[in-house]
Amino acid sequence: MISQRVNYIINYFKVALLNIKSNITGNLFAFAIMSFSYFIMLFFLLCYVNIYNYMRLFQKNNIMIVFLKNGAKKDNVINYIKTIKGIKNIHYYSHKSSLKFLEGKVNHIRSILKGVNPDFLPSFIKIRFKKDAISKIFLSNIYLRIKTFKGVSIVYYNKLLEDKIVQFMFFTKVIGLIIFIFLFILSIFISYSAIKLVILRKQTEIEILKLIGATNSYIRIPMFIEGEIGTILSFFLSVLLLFLIFKTFIYYHFSDFLAYFHINIIFLSGWQIFLIFIIALVSGFLGTYLSSKKFFYEPAI
Amino acid sequence: MIEFNHVYKSYDKNYILRDLNFNVNKGEFIFITGPSGAGKTTTLKMLIALEKPTHGTIKFIDTELQNLKPKDIPFLRRKIGFVFQDFKLLSNRTVFQNVALGLEVSGIFGDVIVKNVTEILKAVELFVKKDEYPLSLSGGEQQRVAIARALIQNPQVLLADEPTGNLDEDTSRIIIDLIKSFNNKGTTVILATHDKNLIRMGRARTIDITKS
Ligand SMILES: Nc1ncnc2c1ncn2[C@@H]1O[C@H](COP(=O)(O)OP(=O)(O)OP(=O)(O)O)[C@@H](O)[C@H]1O
Ligand SMILES: [Mg+2]
Repeated sequence: MISQRVNYIINYFKVALLNIKSNITGNLFAFAIMSFSYFIMLFFLLCYVNIYNYMRLFQKNNIMIVFLKNGAKKDNVINYIKTIKGIKNIHYYSHKSSLKFLEGKVNHIRSILKGVNPDFLPSFIKIRFKKDAISKIFLSNIYLRIKTFKGVSIVYYNKLLEDKIVQFMFFTKVIGLIIFIFLFILSIFISYSAIKLVILRKQTEIEILKLIGATNSYIRIPMFIEGEIGTILSFFLSVLLLFLIFKTFIYYHFSDFLAYFHINIIFLSGWQIFLIFIIALVSGFLGTYLSSKKFFYEPAI
Repeated sequence: MIEFNHVYKSYDKNYILRDLNFNVNKGEFIFITGPSGAGKTTTLKMLIALEKPTHGTIKFIDTELQNLKPKDIPFLRRKIGFVFQDFKLLSNRTVFQNVALGLEVSGIFGDVIVKNVTEILKAVELFVKKDEYPLSLSGGEQQRVAIARALIQNPQVLLADEPTGNLDEDTSRIIIDLIKSFNNKGTTVILATHDKNLIRMGRARTIDITKS
């Protein structure tokens, strides 16, 4: 029975290949349309991933500044901060170093700073966190803990900007999802139309096969194979195309320009490509299913 | 083996068959006749559940066709070989592949196919043309391919719809002898034709559907 199954499967593949061969132009046309649709989908994902990635750099703003009250015991504060996990390094700036910094900034009129008591300027601790250790919750958590520590006056960590970015990233996610669903439906529709062009030509063939005793699955399975072969090939063509364009334009022509703005352009990860691949397979399947459906209504006899 | 009981068939309230009754026994050879448009093709189509009688019942062996479920129709059709008036060959497959289809649809693959197709193509004297495509064949040759495809499933019944329709007398003779030779080996044959000469030549029981 197993060998019978294998025979069936081999035959389905043979029939599918025969069908492709006997309607090569139709299949190439469908192939081209589907490649184009997957290309657009991949291209959107690539843009989205890069925007998202770029904004994450903002979110990973990893510096926190702790201003100390006058007369606070800085060692206590520093020791306390050292117990917090995820810290890369800590720098203490005394009143005097603040004054020096200010003098450096206003070098040409530094005489007006003569006689200023350094205590009027803040002493503070600059904390740099490890990039991979920070998230919003982590930072705000630490913020609250340090803020309530004895001797600490103000803690500053660019909270405003961060909240804005978190909001913005939420919208990016939502919009990305909407575009993605839209593209998914679009790709089903495109597969449907493309495969329908191929299948419509087979109408007489389907009728004949039914007349000589073929079951629906006997007729339909090769169609699914044909559809999926087209899907897989056009998917890989579009990935290849996108990759080549990515390499050529972005890498060779813009890399210096982008590096200047600290923009790091990335290609899709294996998982992202795999995700689109699954979507392509599903849309190929649904496309075949929908476009062949009308041939398989058996009138009740 | 086959029973038509009070079969009526209409298209849009236009009755083409009225109270058709006949039986066919196993191993028999019969003609169904009547002028063009009388409903010969329709009668044969009802036997493979391609058309549904408006009233009446049709029985094939033990099956009442009106009780047949859609999923069982392919299995009925494998037991009944049908040679269509317009052949219904697949133009993108060779003679060999067209005939092999008759077996492949029932899930038979591999060496059996090569053996059986070769055998039947030799029987209809078309083995030399096995790799040609139907459109490059003459009408008589296409007819024989259609017969070979219908018979390769080794059906219990062969339905032949105007198998000599557009053929000259000599070719008709060859086709009729071919069908008769399969009938002699036990296949029940129902042959629909309006050709009086053919009926005279065949000398078999004749059912005139206009007189039902
Ligand atoms: N699907 C259909 N819808 C409507 N009318 C039909 C349909 N099929 C057949 N008819 C009509 O039924 C009548 C009988 O058709 P049928 O094909 O059975 O005739 P026939 O005896 O085989 O004729 P011929 O000798 O020309 O092949 C014809 O008048 C035809 O127009
Ligand atoms: Mg007819």
